[in-house]
Amino acid sequence: MSTITISNLRKTYGSTAAVDGLSLEVPSGSVFGLLGPNGAGKTTTFKCMLGLARASSGTVLYDGKPLVPETFERVAYVPERSVLYESLTVDQHVEMNRRAYKNFDAARAHELLAQFGVARTKRTRYLSKGMRTAVMVACAFARNAEILVLDEPTGGLDPVNQRHVLSLIINEAAKGNSVLFSSHQIGQVERAAERVAIVDRGRLVLEGLVDDLKADRKIVEGIFPDVGFSLDGIANDPRVQRADRTERIVRLLVSSGADEFSSRLSAAGATGIRALDLNLEDIFLYAVSPADATTDVVVKDTSS
Amino acid sequence: MTYVEWLRVRGCLRTCAIILAILVALGIVLRVSFARYMSPETWLHHVSMEPGTQQTNVVLPDGTKRTIYDNPDKQEHVVIDNHGSSGMHIVITEPTAHEKSDADHFSIGSVQVNESRHGTMTTTVVDTNGSVPMLYYMALADIVALIVATLLAAPFAREIDGHLEIVMTKPISRVRYALEAIGVDILGILAASIMTIVAFYLCQLLFETPRLDFSGINSRAIAMGLLLPLAWYAMLAAATSWFPRNYGAVLGFAWPVVLLIGGLSFVQPSNIVALFIHDVAWGLSRLSPLTYTSFNISSQMAQDQSISHFTLRLSMEALLFVVYGGLAIWRWQRVEA
Repeated sequence: MSTITISNLRKTYGSTAAVDGLSLEVPSGSVFGLLGPNGAGKTTTFKCMLGLARASSGTVLYDGKPLVPETFERVAYVPERSVLYESLTVDQHVEMNRRAYKNFDAARAHELLAQFGVARTKRTRYLSKGMRTAVMVACAFARNAEILVLDEPTGGLDPVNQRHVLSLIINEAAKGNSVLFSSHQIGQVERAAERVAIVDRGRLVLEGLVDDLKADRKIVEGIFPDVGFSLDGIANDPRVQRADRTERIVRLLVSSGADEFSSRLSAAGATGIRALDLNLEDIFLYAVSPADATTDVVVKDTSS
Repeated sequence: MTYVEWLRVRGCLRTCAIILAILVALGIVLRVSFARYMSPETWLHHVSMEPGTQQTNVVLPDGTKRTIYDNPDKQEHVVIDNHGSSGMHIVITEPTAHEKSDADHFSIGSVQVNESRHGTMTTTVVDTNGSVPMLYYMALADIVALIVATLLAAPFAREIDGHLEIVMTKPISRVRYALEAIGVDILGILAASIMTIVAFYLCQLLFETPRLDFSGINSRAIAMGLLLPLAWYAMLAAATSWFPRNYGAVLGFAWPVVLLIGGLSFVQPSNIVALFIHDVAWGLSRLSPLTYTSFNISSQMAQDQSISHFTLRLSMEALLFVVYGGLAIWRWQRVEA
C-alpha cells in the first residue's frame, strides 16, 4: 500500500514550463487517472516522478520518502512510446526483467503475453505498435509492483486488449496497489479511475473523485422566447463555471446547485429548462478547452 | 542489471569467434595444402640429392640425431641437429653470395635465422623451434580487441537512444549501472583478446609447437596490449555518451580521425602552416591512447623502451582510461529522458 505525493512540481525547458507547480496525491490502493490535452505535461510529470527528468523544483515522495533506486522494486512504469530493444526477442525482455527485479513473475508475464496474443520468440522489431505496448504492459504487471505508473497503456491496442488492460488496472487496485495512468481515451479513464486530475499547460485544472465531479457538475439549459433576454447576474455567480449563449439558448455549467439555477432561469423567462448530467469527457472538455473553441457566444468563462 | 549489455557482448564475441574460426580453418587448409613442401625431410632430401654431396648420420649422446651433408665441390657444409619435438638446429656454411655483404638476423614465427660472414664464407644458423615473442600475439590480439572495443564503445549512447525508461527505472543507481556496463564490456574486450591469442596459437600449432617468449619487452607488451583497447574503449564511450544521437558516426569516424591526426602529427614543420598543423595534431594526438603504444620489436627499440619510458606510456594509457571512463559516467549521470 503506497502513496505518491507530488508537491509543487515544476519542470522547465528554457523559458517554457512543461509542468508548472503541480501538486497531487495518489492514495494507496486507488486508480488515479491523469488527463490532459497533448503537451499538457502528463508525460513530463511521470518522468519527473520517476527521476527520468530532473524537476526544476518541487518534490515527489513515495510513502513520504524521496525516490531512490530501490524504490523501483515497488514501482513499475510503462512509457508512452515503445522503449523495447529492437534486436531482442520478447522472451529476452522477460528475462531482462526477471534479472532486474526481485518480485518479477516470469510465469505471469508469459501468461499475460499469451492473453495479449504476443509471440514470445519474435524480435520486437517485428512487432506492431500495439504488440509492443502489450509487451511493456505485460512486463509491468508481472512485476508485482505496489505502484504502477502507466503512460497511455492502451496506445495502439485493439479494443479487446484495451479492455484487458483496463481489467488489469482495476485488478491491481483491488489488490491494494496504486495505479496512476494517463490516457486520451477518456471513456477508459472514466471506467477505471476512481480519481482524476486534469492538467493543462502544466497546471492542475481539476482534481477529484470521478463520481463527485460528475455528481456536482451539471449543465443547466434554458430556452428564452427571444434573443433580447437578460441573465440578471446569473452568469456572475461563482458556481457558474461557464455560460454559453447561442441565440435564444443558454447553457450554464454549474459546479453545484443545479436546481437553484433552473429556478433562476425560469424566473428570468426561460422555458424548456433541463439539467443535464456530464460525463467525464464533458468535464474534461469544459476544463481544458479554451473559450473560443466553440462557435457559441461566450458570456462568461471561469473555468480556470 | 546489465543483461542487455551482456547480450551485446555475446553477439560481438560470437561474430569474433566465427571470424577467428574461419582463420583457423584457413590455416588448416594451408597446412594440408603445403604439407609436402613444408616437411624438413623434403628439404633434406633435396640437399642430399645434390651431386657430390656426402651424407653422414650420427646419434649424439643426448639422443640428438645429427646429419651432416658435405659437398666439397661447392664448398657447402650443412650440420643438422634434430632434437625431435624441440625442433632442429641447422648450421649451413657456404660461399658468400656476391650480392650479400652484411650479417643478417631475422625470424619468422618460431624460425630464427642468423647469418654471419667470415671472409668469403657465410655461416647461417637456423633454429626451427625458437621462442615466439608474446608481443606478436598481443599485437594481433590488440587489432581484434580494438575492433571489438569500437563496436562495444557506446554502452550509454545505445541506452540514451530510446531505452532510458527501461534502464533508469531499474533498482540500481546510475553510477553502479555504468560501472557494471563498463565492466561487462571490458570482460568482452579481454575475452576477444584471449580468443585471438588462442586462435593464432592454434594456427601456429598447425605448423609447429610454439614456445612463447614472455621475457623482457614481451611481458610489458602484455600489460600494454591489455590496457590499450580499454583506454580506446573508454575514449569512445565518453565521446558517444556526449553525442548519443550520433554515436554511430562517432564510432565510424573514430579510426579515420585518430589515424589522420596521428599522421598529421608527423608533418615536418617546414613552414608556418606545416608547423601549425604539426603542433595542433601533435597536441590532439596526445589525447589518443594509440599514441602511447608501440609494437616495434627491433632490438634497438626494445633497448630504447626502458622500463621508465614504458611505465610512463602505460601510466598514460591507464590515466586516459580513468579520465575518459569518468567523463562517460559523469555524462551518463546527467542524462534525462
